[in-house]
Amino acid sequence: MQSILSRSIKGPIGLIVSILVLIVIFSILNPRFGSIENLQNVLYQASVPLIVVVGATLVIQMGSIDLSVEGVMGASGMAWILLSPNTRHALDLGPWAWVIAIGLGLGLGLLSGLVHAKLKVPSFVVTLGTWYVGLGIAILLYGNGMLPSLTSEALARWPSRLSLGLPNSFWLAAVVILGGILASNYTGFGRGVLAVGNNETIARGGGMAVDRIKIAAFTVAGCLSGLAGILATMQLGSGSPDIGFGQLFTVIPAAVIAGTALGGGEGGVLRSILGVFLLIILNNGLVLAGVDPDFQSGVFGAILIVAIVAVAWPTRGALKVAK
Amino acid sequence: MTSAIPPVLKLTNVSRSFGKVKAVNNVSLTIARGEVIGLTGENGAGKSTLLKILAGIERPDEGTMEINGKPANFRSPNDAFRAGVGVVHQEQSLFTNLSVAENIALQNQDRSGLSRFGIRNWGEINRNASAVLDKIGVKLSPRARVGDLSFVDRQMVEIARAVCVEPGKDATPLIILDEPTAVLEQAEVEVLEREIRKLRRFASVIFVSHRLDEVLRICDRVVVMRHGSLTSDRSTEGVTKQDLFKAMVDDAPVAVTRARAATPAQSTPAIEARGLTVNGKFRDISFAVHPGRITALVGTNGSGRGALMRTLFGAGKPDAGTLLVNGQEVSNWSIRKAVAAGLAYVPAERKVEGMIGGYSGTRNIAMVHRQTAMVGPLLHPGRMARTAQTWFDRLDVNPNDITQPLDQFSGGNQQKVVLAKWLNSPDLRVLMLDHPLRGLDVGVSQAVNAQIREACKNGTAVVLIPDTIEEALDMADEILVLRDGQISARHDLSSGSDLAIKEIVAEMI
Repeated sequence: MQSILSRSIKGPIGLIVSILVLIVIFSILNPRFGSIENLQNVLYQASVPLIVVVGATLVIQMGSIDLSVEGVMGASGMAWILLSPNTRHALDLGPWAWVIAIGLGLGLGLLSGLVHAKLKVPSFVVTLGTWYVGLGIAILLYGNGMLPSLTSEALARWPSRLSLGLPNSFWLAAVVILGGILASNYTGFGRGVLAVGNNETIARGGGMAVDRIKIAAFTVAGCLSGLAGILATMQLGSGSPDIGFGQLFTVIPAAVIAGTALGGGEGGVLRSILGVFLLIILNNGLVLAGVDPDFQSGVFGAILIVAIVAVAWPTRGALKVAK
Repeated sequence: MTSAIPPVLKLTNVSRSFGKVKAVNNVSLTIARGEVIGLTGENGAGKSTLLKILAGIERPDEGTMEINGKPANFRSPNDAFRAGVGVVHQEQSLFTNLSVAENIALQNQDRSGLSRFGIRNWGEINRNASAVLDKIGVKLSPRARVGDLSFVDRQMVEIARAVCVEPGKDATPLIILDEPTAVLEQAEVEVLEREIRKLRRFASVIFVSHRLDEVLRICDRVVVMRHGSLTSDRSTEGVTKQDLFKAMVDDAPVAVTRARAATPAQSTPAIEARGLTVNGKFRDISFAVHPGRITALVGTNGSGRGALMRTLFGAGKPDAGTLLVNGQEVSNWSIRKAVAAGLAYVPAERKVEGMIGGYSGTRNIAMVHRQTAMVGPLLHPGRMARTAQTWFDRLDVNPNDITQPLDQFSGGNQQKVVLAKWLNSPDLRVLMLDHPLRGLDVGVSQAVNAQIREACKNGTAVVLIPDTIEEALDMADEILVLRDGQISARHDLSSGSDLAIKEIVAEMI
């Protein structure tokens, strides 16, 4: 049904080639692009969206969508910094700060999943709501006090410190990615996500716990958004309700460019990772190539549209509606 | 037959009713080990309901069922699967994005070894699938993606999945194939036939088909259903197709409730097809329908008549041939153009394609032809409501409430509204109806038929896909019989010739 050409465009080879082409072009435009330092910088920048994209991919593979990323990141990031050594007060819960902050993300994800699966509300709308609930929590936590900044030098420098030549941020993302790949390929949950995304009716008819799979996917995505919020807060060194700003616009196009059909059932974690790298390299390269900052957003958006059209070209079909 | 080995299936006096309709009526049936049974009958004869009972989807109202000598009381398809009943449904139910092996494994989740501590054991999943595919003698890679397979190969995966049933030691699985050949090409049918013969080495098979040649070729025994009852149960040895027709259809003459239209004068046909072809669906179809006449398209489910009607309405593109509407050849035909030219289409899938369930009758009727409700570029709510009320009154829609969402109405009343939507056309040239009486009771059926006749009298040409041949004989001026995508016979009823149902069935199969 699909030609070999279209499959290869959709598959990772096409993505890898696009990334390589970008690297070559940007290296020519600015030799500094290919430096070790800049590559470390790319990995550092990519780590937050990489963590988020793992959860987002699971949800999109299921045929749903999670728009709550930025709100959940804000809530978890604020909760974490206020429970870690900071300039605002002396409360420091150490590892419990992580547990509570990620638990907050888990709770928000669980809420989205429950409302979506049990009350049959489209995930698009539910997670739009969860986004603002998360944002609201973050704003309440921020309150009227002074900017909470990290006072622990060790914590503030951890994300950019190098281990085995790569920034710690990236190692954290790598662990999440590995977990995501294992869950997706080797667990009943991961396979169930693909089955539900392909045909929910058949999945139900075959006796699968469809609701449980849906709720689990949103819960995992919530946890990962929470973790990403913590990492982004660490990278910034201070808390902000807007810590997740712009992540949604990276993560969803990254998954789609990588072939995760919004209708569900297609794509994979590994491919989405490549999609994130494509976008981060594009962003980084445009800066280094000296594109006028005023034009960067427009150019980035235009390239994104071209890329998505190219990816979607083979699968465009008459009367095919994405939910 | 009377040896110590219990039969694989034993049904005793099984019945199942839906409302007043006895879909399955007092059916008793025994299937021995390794037997291949053909099950046939007209549409609506009760085959599907019987299969659903065997598959654990429906529960019988009365009667008992035994599988391999044990009483079976299925509450879910999983129960049936565990007892050893594997079903290949008419509609394929595979996950196209997953591999062959995984599709087989998903049906088979209870089996140990396929996953350890919740972690999928891909080696074991692939080995298990290989073993099953070997068992049924199919050469397919367990790692192939189902979406990349041909239709017949997918059918093999469905069979492999059904064969995974675990009826227990010394028990024989029962494999049910529900019209597996309906959409297959001839060469593919042969592949499937060979497959079924292989199955009998370790399983009993129920093979459901409309194609009597196949049934007689493949099966040891053939069972015919009519109006929910078994009308024939005999060895295929020495049985002819004619014998089966007799068991399938009533011999009572059809009461014709409509005076046939005269053979058309030299008027222009409202719609005419010349050599119309859609690859894989139908080919070289030529016919014309004149204003004021009803043409019925008769055939089995896979005969291509549904696809033909959709193509006439612009919902599909023909690969060859020309289409003339009101004498004009059309190009780039689309639904939009068809509606503008005065064509109307009442689809078989009423709830999916025919109506918007959450909308009121008013809004559903105003969906297509709303000229009467327009004031300049704007819709006039009062006029919309008045139009709807007129139709509700004329068609006697019950409850007579034009504001109620349509999905709260009964099927028959929904169908009246769907019909009203099209009859509201200021210039209705061609009315096409796909199974317009599906699921309707007698009273509503008569009302719908009356509207069709009324439109016809006013000069509309009607193309009808009837549920039954009786319906065709009752309504039509001309009957076109389709078989495997081609017109196999034409009958002009306006000449007054008497036509036997048996004759038509023979041309269908």
